[in-house]
Amino acid sequence: MSQTLIDERKLGTEQVQVRVVDSDVHPYPRRGELAPFIPGKFRKLFAARGEGVGNSVFYDPPDYAHASAMRVDSFPADGEFAGTDPHLTFRQLIMESGSDIAILGPLNSSGGQTEEETHALAVATNLWQDNCWLDSENNWHQRYRGSIVAAIDAPDLAAREIEQWAGHPYMAQVLINAEMRPAWGDPRYNPVWEAATRHNLPVACHLGRGQHNELPMSPVGFLSYNHDFMVTYSLLAANQVMSLVFDGVFDRFPTLRIVFIEHAYSWILPLMWRMDAIYAARGPENGLKRKPSEYVKDHIWFTTQPLDFPEDKLELTNALEWMEADKILLFSSDYPHWTFDEPRWVAKHIPERMRERIMFQNSIDVFNLPSTVPALPGQVRAF
Amino acid sequence: MHRLARGREHVVATVDEIAPGESKVVPIGRHGVGVYNVNGKFYAIANYCPHEGGPLCVGRTHGQSVVDPERPGGAAEAREGEFIYCPWHQWGFELATGTTAVKPEWSIRTYPVRVEGRNVIVTA
Amino acid sequence: MSSAPHPLIDASVHIFFKSDADLRGHMHEPFASRGFPEPDVAWFAPPGKKYAPGTANPDGSHQASDPETVGRAIFAERGFDFAILHPMSGGVMPDRHLGAAILTATNEMMAERWLDTGVYADRFRGTIRIDPNDVDNAVREIKRWRDHPRIVQIGLPLQTQEPYGRPHFKPLWRAACDASLPVAVHLEMGAGITHPPTPSGIARTYSQHVSFQPISYLYHLMNMITEGVFEEFPELKVVWADGAADHLTPMIWRMDTFGRPHLEQTPWAPRIPSAYLPEHVYFVQGALDGPGDVEFASEWLRMTGKEDMLLFGSSYPDWQLASPEKLPSAWTDEQREKVLWRTAAGLYGLPAAVPA
Repeated sequence: MSQTLIDERKLGTEQVQVRVVDSDVHPYPRRGELAPFIPGKFRKLFAARGEGVGNSVFYDPPDYAHASAMRVDSFPADGEFAGTDPHLTFRQLIMESGSDIAILGPLNSSGGQTEEETHALAVATNLWQDNCWLDSENNWHQRYRGSIVAAIDAPDLAAREIEQWAGHPYMAQVLINAEMRPAWGDPRYNPVWEAATRHNLPVACHLGRGQHNELPMSPVGFLSYNHDFMVTYSLLAANQVMSLVFDGVFDRFPTLRIVFIEHAYSWILPLMWRMDAIYAARGPENGLKRKPSEYVKDHIWFTTQPLDFPEDKLELTNALEWMEADKILLFSSDYPHWTFDEPRWVAKHIPERMRERIMFQNSIDVFNLPSTVPALPGQVRAF
Repeated sequence: MHRLARGREHVVATVDEIAPGESKVVPIGRHGVGVYNVNGKFYAIANYCPHEGGPLCVGRTHGQSVVDPERPGGAAEAREGEFIYCPWHQWGFELATGTTAVKPEWSIRTYPVRVEGRNVIVTA
Repeated sequence: MSSAPHPLIDASVHIFFKSDADLRGHMHEPFASRGFPEPDVAWFAPPGKKYAPGTANPDGSHQASDPETVGRAIFAERGFDFAILHPMSGGVMPDRHLGAAILTATNEMMAERWLDTGVYADRFRGTIRIDPNDVDNAVREIKRWRDHPRIVQIGLPLQTQEPYGRPHFKPLWRAACDASLPVAVHLEMGAGITHPPTPSGIARTYSQHVSFQPISYLYHLMNMITEGVFEEFPELKVVWADGAADHLTPMIWRMDTFGRPHLEQTPWAPRIPSAYLPEHVYFVQGALDGPGDVEFASEWLRMTGKEDMLLFGSSYPDWQLASPEKLPSAWTDEQREKVLWRTAAGLYGLPAAVPA
């Protein structure tokens, strides 16, 4: 097979082992591309509200006016936003960086003012993924997987949306927002966990940033900069982990798999100790069947990006060993965001004993992915 | 693009070709070398970020934030254009030295540049 | 523990008024007749015992309200040589005048009953309580107590409306530095004005509630770092008195990882974030902290400098009551000595010798 086949978007017959599954990749709609998929009742409303609106960023990442929180080199030449061109993503991420399978997590589905609106955006986003990224023209290489976006704040509608898309050959997970209150232990979310487990789909959440209900509210007031805001964002996920565990969600749904995307992960080590200490001190009052850390290791995964980078690399290695990272981490790059982690760089920093599990095997298991894919001549192999 | 051999002198441009505040990437070595004109002085750096390997010269040059209580917001930009910021993670490096005050052990590769007549010559 | 070659310091003992009436007796009107919460309320109280066994008083007065009983428990029975008292109040009051009246009464009670009189007075050291919602008054209160020989610390609530890096708190840090007193931040008991205790609202279980709340110090600490508080006040020392020091390690790695690019937004804090920890940041080490009795406990304590930050604290008389016997056996003698004595002795200016 030759380069020409890639240019012509044709696959040969050769298969290669999957060595990198990238569990956090962001596609964005081109201008106007999402609108046709928005349910009619909301299309006009959203268009009217969107008329003349400008940037709404606060807690701005570095050099925002020039970088828009993206890898500066990921903007396509046609003037559209980063991540809008499936072929550019394919070239930069899969061909040149060696991510073999990319799990797409669209972030354009939040921002509804009511639960119905958020659901309408989820519906549109799923149709858009199916038509513009997972279709035979754009997913000719079979390397993209999509997310069934579900409005967690409208659990019944979310469950219906999961039913709608379950069984799609390229939908690998359910994707919900992490910020909605109350926390996930609340029984109101049962329909979502029920639908996901019925179809053996993991439920992932990505951190977002919107207003009010879409913004993590610190219990001690608003942080000042993107730096302290972004770092402490992990505490929202830590609290969700505790809610899932102590409220018994995994006893209610013994096959539920949860993926925390981009919430960092090394904090789970002391959090497991802390939950276990509380369980030892007060356990029976929660009616749990097992130690909290055991639920974490059997039910929860964390994506690697942004990989923490302590001064002394041995400390990272030790922490990964102590938390049994080979059971809970999934590689991710976050392409095309500015905090992108290069697959080759991450692979280098993961202890060898865990490398294959973290770079691809855990994801193959969690997302039910194939272990081989059609070969692409010239593709970088990350490790 | 034709790759130039490493470890020798290269005439990379004429002085007029790279105006103050501008730069040019020349295909020397594996990643290329960026040649920058900062207020009339020329500097050359590897087009490679030592952090995660980003294409450094795609990034923007600007100055460094400093405290300035006299300005609204209490900060000002100093040494405008003297730093290159990586297009991936926005790590900044001083073009003249390749280093940073915050974490000097993470430095970029720099190359000697001299001007002879109208030619800008990089040893890389 | 009495055979230890160095003094033992309990850096966290909570003291109380005997009763609501006792507090009111220390207040003047119009505040003595106002309505305000007591430290023990049902809202998110542990569904079992609130206090450690053996801490109840026969006369029904509040646990840890009698200096002799507490002194006997801490010094005679548990073998400590000094105890840092941290009085608990009934919550952050919406009315700052009322809040000031309560906290001033608390400070006066602590001085009279615990620090100036009684058989154990020379072993107790006190934390004065101030209200961060009334900075002017808090500064006055710090000045009022700063020369008291047994006041060694300023106490602030963890629950605030804004994180402690915000500039309107600066006069507090200046006053603390002028007085050479560390500042301890501890969860307030009772009820009062607070945001929901987690970023996702209230918890459904006590376990989640009690697990999450102490970790909230990270919001304050990271905000103080980015706002340049430790740059502007190089003498400032902060004790996170609810523990959870273990979370510092991953979170400061994370903050450093994102340090380089974000420093351009905060030139008032030009160093890599972890550089602001040594000599500024301390933690009470409580019963729920640490990795347990594991082989790597010593290495974990060393990471990100925690071995120089921890102060053993029992939280007496709370149900979480911690004991030095439960500290990890893998700690080195030097680590144990630092946590049980040396760091606290340095921070609070306590003598190296055990009082007779």
